Amino acid sequence: MGKYRIYLFTLPAVLVLGIFFVYPILLSLRLSFTDFTGVGIPKDVGWKNYERIFTRSRYLDALQVTLLFTLLVVTLQTAIGLCFAALLHRLPAIRHFCRAALFMPAMMSFVIVGYVWQFIYSPFNGGLNAAFGRLGLAAFQHNWIGDPNTALLALGFAHVWMFVGYTTAIFLAGYAAIPQDLDEAARLEGTSGWQRFRHIEVPLLAPSFTINIVLSTIGTLKTFELPFIMTRGGPDGATRTLSLHIIDSLFGKYKFGFASALSIVMLILVVLIAYIQNRVLRAREARL
Amino acid sequence: MSLRGRATKILLSMAVVALVLLMLLPVAYMVMMSFKTGPEIVRDPLGLPEGLFLGNYANALSKMSYARSVINSIGITLSVTVLVSFIGALAAYPLARRTSGLSRALVLLTALGLSTPAFVTITPIYVIFREIGLLDTYVGLVLAFTALNLPLAVFFYTSFIGSIPVELDEAARLDNCGDFKIFWHIIRPLLGPATATLSLFVMLMVWNDFTYPLLLITDEDKFTVMISVYRFVGNHTLSPEDLFPAAVLGSLPLLVLFILFQRRIVAGVTAGAVK
Repeated sequence: MGKYRIYLFTLPAVLVLGIFFVYPILLSLRLSFTDFTGVGIPKDVGWKNYERIFTRSRYLDALQVTLLFTLLVVTLQTAIGLCFAALLHRLPAIRHFCRAALFMPAMMSFVIVGYVWQFIYSPFNGGLNAAFGRLGLAAFQHNWIGDPNTALLALGFAHVWMFVGYTTAIFLAGYAAIPQDLDEAARLEGTSGWQRFRHIEVPLLAPSFTINIVLSTIGTLKTFELPFIMTRGGPDGATRTLSLHIIDSLFGKYKFGFASALSIVMLILVVLIAYIQNRVLRAREARL
Repeated sequence: MSLRGRATKILLSMAVVALVLLMLLPVAYMVMMSFKTGPEIVRDPLGLPEGLFLGNYANALSKMSYARSVINSIGITLSVTVLVSFIGALAAYPLARRTSGLSRALVLLTALGLSTPAFVTITPIYVIFREIGLLDTYVGLVLAFTALNLPLAVFFYTSFIGSIPVELDEAARLDNCGDFKIFWHIIRPLLGPATATLSLFVMLMVWNDFTYPLLLITDEDKFTVMISVYRFVGNHTLSPEDLFPAAVLGSLPLLVLFILFQRRIVAGVTAGAVK
């Protein structure tokens, strides 16, 4: 009975992942150096695809849009999630209900969230503008996703809406790990809620910060359905993320080789950012 | 607690609840709008519907082949869940019980798998599937989804099995049980809670997924619910009488699941995160 015989158990997983995951990535790498159009024989073109990505402004713009969007969403989501968690930590009576209620939007598909919010943002009597009108705040009415200046923000808000429950739940779990006596000791010393928050809770929530930031970054960098459904990359490319370019190259222009190159760039980007974030945040955790 | 303190707390609670309900407003909006007629929506975009107008739903149901796509979605989701649970648990067993270099390498690979966007594999999977004839098939889609969700399952099960005392394994080994027997008779029955939580997550991801079925399925009869919704509502006009009933129909199954299992779902998120 070899020591390694137990690893036979991993065989089905290794097979499935090998064929449908690892191999495609390697194939993607190979295709990225060709001009494959889906038919015929792929012709090698060296680094031309990559050159194109890093020199043409539209791709650099897409990179910028993706990064900006991610920064926006992660910051908002983490901040709002923290606020809710801090509040709910102090209000145990409503905690379960609120946590579940906040989580509900995460159960909806991107497609549906996209459609509903697209209508809410609609300049033709969509929910948001109508509400502003009703409240006498007609000055706030706006063409939210039609205006290149607000489109990305509007999308970001819908995204945050979907996942703020996740962030809150993770922070609440972090709160549960804070020892009770610390809180009580601080209270007895007469510290205010805000002081407790800043100096005890936030530092002790460091692991939750790490998890939330890393998870939401990875998740948001990949974003596709929301911009696809809500704005299709418009207006004027204000919401054209990297993922939209990939799908467009693939099924719009049949440039398989180029789409592969874009995908590899995306992969490297995500892995790199995830790795750096993880290192930085874990180091911070250790310090606090 | 002082009376003033108590009052503050109550007021604060009310404010937070109000805020949370405000967050849920879009969902309420979606449901409300689905029951309004077209002209009603134009006239009064924010009010409650005058009556429970079912015409929109009738229209949507007839054009969306809802029943068919629900059956497709359920079938695909269940298949993926079963496959992922079984293969994932199987693979997690050695990873949890052995901490050698090989284990650590495989766990690292799994983590890498979790952070890889589905986009990287979409191009080659399309090409591969086309070559081996798996394009536009249930089998192909199920396999692609399984590969996508396996890293999560392996991760989940590895930490779960890790918390099952090794003593149980060793006791069985004394009775001359081989590895597989130990897995099947000792570990597997204990996996219930983990499998339940994992299944909920896999179901969530597969049911709501849009990209893979969009690109890999072209046969109308095989459409999943999300694709049906997309095809029905379209991409250019914002016709609310189509949009809202489709949206409600699309989210209904999972929302029901959520109301039934929300405690487990939330527990699963936090448990997975606190490792």
